[in-house]
Amino acid sequence: MAEVKVFGYCNKLTVKPGDAMTFHVHADGASTAEAQLVRLIHGDEHPAGPGFVEQEIACDINGPWEVRKQFTQVGNYLTVDDPQSKLALNGSFTLTAYIFPTLPGEGQRQSIIGRWDIYKVAGFGLSIGPDGHLNFGMGDGEDNDYLNAEVPLLKNIWYFVAASYDARTGKATLYQEGVINRYNSIWGKVVPIDYRSHVRETLRFKAENLAETPFLIGGARDWHELRGPFVAQTFSGKIDRPAVFDRALSREELDRIRDTARPAGDGVVAFWDTAAGYTDTGIGDTITDIGPNKLHATGFNRPVRAQTGHNWSGRNDCFRMAPQEYGGIEFHSDAVMDCRWPVTRSYTVPALKSGCYAIRLRAGDGHGLSEEYIPFFVRAATPKARIAFLFPTASYLAYANEHLSLDAQMAQPIAGQPPIITETDIELYQTPDFGLSTYDHHNDDAGVCYTSYLRPVLNMRPKSRLASMGITWQFAADLSITGWLESQGYDFEVITDEDLHRDGLDALKPYTLVISGSHPEYYSERMLDATEDFMAGGGRYIYMGGNGYYWNVAFRDDELHIMETRKLDSGMRAWNARPGEHYLCTTGMKGGLWKNLGRPPQKSMGVGFISQGFESARPYRRMPDSWHRRASWMFKDIEGEIFGDFGLAHEGAAGIEIDCYNLNLGTPPHTLIVASSGGHSDNYMLVSEETLYTFPGMTGTYDYRIRADITYFTTPNDGACLSTGSIAFGQALPFNNFDNNISQFLKNVVDAFSTPGKLPGWLWSAEEKQWR
Amino acid sequence: MTGLWKDPLAAFDPEKPAPPDVVTNDYLAPSTVWDETKSFKAKMYPVGRLRYYRKWPGHGGDLWTRWRWWPTRRRVLDISSAYNPRTLKVQKTIDDKRPIWWVLGFIALALAPLFIPETRQNAMLPAGAIFGLYASINLIWMLIIGTAGIFSLASYAVVGAGAYASTYFAMQLGLPWFVMPLIGGAVGLVFGVAIALPATRLEGFYYSLLTLGVVELCRVYVLQSRQLGNATGGLYGGPSYIPEHWDEYSQLLLGYYACNFMIVLALILYRFVNGKQLGRVLRMAPEKREAFAEATGVNYRAARIKVFLISSAALGFIGGFYATHFKGASPNLFTFDTMLLGLAMLVVGGIGRAEGAVVGTLIVVFIDRVLLDLGPLRLILIGLIMMAVVLWLRNGIFGIKAQFRGWRDKKKSEARSTRAEKGGEMLPEEAAETRNKDLVYFRRFDKMQRDFLKKLITPEIIEEHRNKPLGQHSEALERVMTYFRRAPQTEKYAITVIKPFEAYRIVALSGTRGVAPRLVEDRIYKTPNEAYHALFMRRVQDLLES
Repeated sequence: MAEVKVFGYCNKLTVKPGDAMTFHVHADGASTAEAQLVRLIHGDEHPAGPGFVEQEIACDINGPWEVRKQFTQVGNYLTVDDPQSKLALNGSFTLTAYIFPTLPGEGQRQSIIGRWDIYKVAGFGLSIGPDGHLNFGMGDGEDNDYLNAEVPLLKNIWYFVAASYDARTGKATLYQEGVINRYNSIWGKVVPIDYRSHVRETLRFKAENLAETPFLIGGARDWHELRGPFVAQTFSGKIDRPAVFDRALSREELDRIRDTARPAGDGVVAFWDTAAGYTDTGIGDTITDIGPNKLHATGFNRPVRAQTGHNWSGRNDCFRMAPQEYGGIEFHSDAVMDCRWPVTRSYTVPALKSGCYAIRLRAGDGHGLSEEYIPFFVRAATPKARIAFLFPTASYLAYANEHLSLDAQMAQPIAGQPPIITETDIELYQTPDFGLSTYDHHNDDAGVCYTSYLRPVLNMRPKSRLASMGITWQFAADLSITGWLESQGYDFEVITDEDLHRDGLDALKPYTLVISGSHPEYYSERMLDATEDFMAGGGRYIYMGGNGYYWNVAFRDDELHIMETRKLDSGMRAWNARPGEHYLCTTGMKGGLWKNLGRPPQKSMGVGFISQGFESARPYRRMPDSWHRRASWMFKDIEGEIFGDFGLAHEGAAGIEIDCYNLNLGTPPHTLIVASSGGHSDNYMLVSEETLYTFPGMTGTYDYRIRADITYFTTPNDGACLSTGSIAFGQALPFNNFDNNISQFLKNVVDAFSTPGKLPGWLWSAEEKQWR
Repeated sequence: MTGLWKDPLAAFDPEKPAPPDVVTNDYLAPSTVWDETKSFKAKMYPVGRLRYYRKWPGHGGDLWTRWRWWPTRRRVLDISSAYNPRTLKVQKTIDDKRPIWWVLGFIALALAPLFIPETRQNAMLPAGAIFGLYASINLIWMLIIGTAGIFSLASYAVVGAGAYASTYFAMQLGLPWFVMPLIGGAVGLVFGVAIALPATRLEGFYYSLLTLGVVELCRVYVLQSRQLGNATGGLYGGPSYIPEHWDEYSQLLLGYYACNFMIVLALILYRFVNGKQLGRVLRMAPEKREAFAEATGVNYRAARIKVFLISSAALGFIGGFYATHFKGASPNLFTFDTMLLGLAMLVVGGIGRAEGAVVGTLIVVFIDRVLLDLGPLRLILIGLIMMAVVLWLRNGIFGIKAQFRGWRDKKKSEARSTRAEKGGEMLPEEAAETRNKDLVYFRRFDKMQRDFLKKLITPEIIEEHRNKPLGQHSEALERVMTYFRRAPQTEKYAITVIKPFEAYRIVALSGTRGVAPRLVEDRIYKTPNEAYHALFMRRVQDLLES
């Protein structure tokens, strides 16, 4: 029997008691799975800590669930709602499109535009053949007939392609012309290559247009015994302004469309103006048909818009300035935004105490892949606690199902160690169904800019460890912080980035103290604004991590499960957006680092990203300013100057990714550095956004900037911010069962921060008249 | 080695006792190998080849109207265009020149009678007619052996059955000549059904033996059957399509053209069976891979039987035509030597190809029927040719091209392996075949790097790694590890968890998304540190072996 595997997701990450939610479960080799609601207490199995701790909660959805195999529609394409079958063309017709293939000739057929049924061999379609040649085919339900262009389509080149079919003579003509300019394609004028091809053949029969075949752009209908109809032959690359005409256009007419990107003459059935509909705040998934029938198309799995089109002139770098040059819609055959599995169980959240919960599913022997946790976060119906822990779910999304250890050559040199991979990593590597993270590349080497949680996010699980670095990461690491709060008996509630983005300041306001996760790297403008407003309004904030508040990301108001990021120019990044594609399609803001948008993390948190190492971590040592009575209270009951020389992440509290103080980047001028790490290895290198020229000595043992600073500053209205400047900080808390000096330090701060009123040490503000 | 390395980070832990200095290598400049390497060790030969024949350019902006073989979707010529990677110019290649050769061949056959000296017409034209008949029989036989993969030796027997039956019925019922091929076809089909049945149970060699038995049975039957003319050594007296009142030359000429027209018919049938769905299904299930084909849902048995029946009917049809050509049938069709000659024709030309069947027939018939002066030596000559083909050629005359290319590739890799160093720099021959020239340089850099790093591998740095697999290392060890970490993903070692913090194993990555890592050994390591070191030792070993 096959290995039993269970995977699942829920439709909402963050809920309140009384909310309805659904679970969607896929199982291989099992028809039932044992479900158990658990409260997740601690997620790191490292022997130096308390290990994995969960608390089973009695609940009416516990017990056996009926589960089954699920199928996921992978890939981007556009669907067209065509109730009157206007696109089931039975006479002469012409199909046109500008295309920018990014994966031609790799052995897979890719549909460009058409109404083609692969299984039934019926319909018509323009596609790129497995060998990379433009291909126009027709099927009569029995046999197919086709013709190929003379020369193959080349990667990363803009073409205008068309197929016209004359029903009277049976003649089909392919039209393929390069439309490169000095900016838009990989090559320019100096390459002596002829992209053109015009081929005509007489086909043997007419297409049989079946009623159920959908008209698709970037895909074609297929069928499978267990799965039923699905879409295959999905396209990789960009498509700009596809169109359909109900007569065979002549060469001259096609030339005119190629040059003007406008429909010429009569006979337009549909002309999808992919550049129409841009607003100052981006564009949705609807593609406008400017033809007479208004057959608007809809993107599936969120094709990437705001991409440069065939006519991008290089002068404008944003769709807001020249929307007509941004008609490129980018398709990826391995994109997944929503698994769309049928509901396995519906659930109404009972009156649970706020915290992180999960449905634990066990099938088969309940080990390895046959055990699954579907976590979700329960907020307080009415906030009562003074402390809130903010789960950085936006950053979880960014890393969701990353493939770095298996895919990325640079992962080992960055991490300074060979990866320790798990069954989960291999599963993610083997199946395209669970999608990619924003650290991965699509199969055509384009960076992944959209990520979603409507799919099993297998690294947002307790016990999960990041293969490349050999430590827990994000979710499982953050459970060490909530586990610490739990162990110290604090009354706390949880909120998530999604709540912060949706509700803004209202999400934070009820709390005296908000504690961040270990790596809150991805922030939308609204999230950052709300955080600043909270601190300015007297809120206390502990930034308990490293490399936070780094990338500018965006969410659509009605689809908070999908996050967009664009990586560009500088910053420690897995990929680089193409020239001209640096703006977030979702909001119209420039993507990239907050630093490059005028809001470095130092400006709101006192520290910002400086280095990363991953193979070792260091302790902190008190800095002289920690003896100032404004801050000395933090070191109550801490012996010696060194603290944090232990931890679950490479045995130190300062490390992995680290942040430091920088007045030039906006660290508030009254900030104190209360402690700093030092002695980082040479695997800790200066981050790229701090690098202008490169020169020897930009590494841990040479460069004094490479350190984690614990900074402290006060904000208006008795607010305050403490930053730990290190991802490993949170993973040091559980050491020795939460009894250690990092824990003591944090307890001192949390006790003070969670008490409303004046902060300890506030009175020591006079100029020091010193005798020593 | 006396080098000592002080950890630059030691000073950061003032409260701890200073760690002892680490024993490491003496300093060696990384440029050493670069300075030592001044030229290739192998002799460098210029590469490049002049084009001595014309390549047609692409059509570019011109409309290229392509013609087809009506009523199929097959283009008249299978032409592909490609960008020449050296010039980026489009150039056309006729991928399949066979249609051209066929047309030329048929033109030659049509014109051949004009060039036969008058004195030899009486020998040559009948020989040409025999060639036509044998070639068409062999084409169909090729469908059975080559396409269907059924090793039947009964093809000539089916022809004989068709010939005898049609003659017999024509004589008995006084039928006109043009009915005879149809009778032959019907008889062939019946005969085909009879010998197809055991083919569903018997495989390969055993089936051949069975068909041999069938042939012998037929021969003995016609020799003993009074109705089929045992006394006269054949059954003669049937009607013929050749008008009696024509002069002899015209009769011979008509016979010649009629028999060669049979090749065209056989070829069309061959093309329709072999080139269409049936043939494709059977090509997916070649000999010895039937089980795999069956597992993937290819019903090759039904396809084989179908091909066999179609072929048997066609063979019977040819038999009927044979009878109208010779006005009867002779037991020769059932003899062992006819069958062996036929087999020789197939083998000489090459199994599985239509042109092989026809050219093989041409050679054997030419020797057998034209070089009559050689007497019985002819058969020895045929035997020698057959022996040569079997000994030296992999797939008959028409397999020579592929065989030559394979041989050249073999020679090429032999030459490369003697000339090139393993993992060394690319030679011009290899660079010419590498599209991304960056890789050519990478190979040079990598070679230098490895040659240098090999000098750094000492027991001292191995010991240093064992003591501390992660973190700051001495210069020598750090260099070696940085190289290891930067290696491409394919076959790069990694660690896999069996049980967290209890059991780990070493795997090698595939480098291809979708393909799981491969287990490289069974050993289980209890801690990540043990696994890191074991993995390091594997990498060291690979480095030293390269």
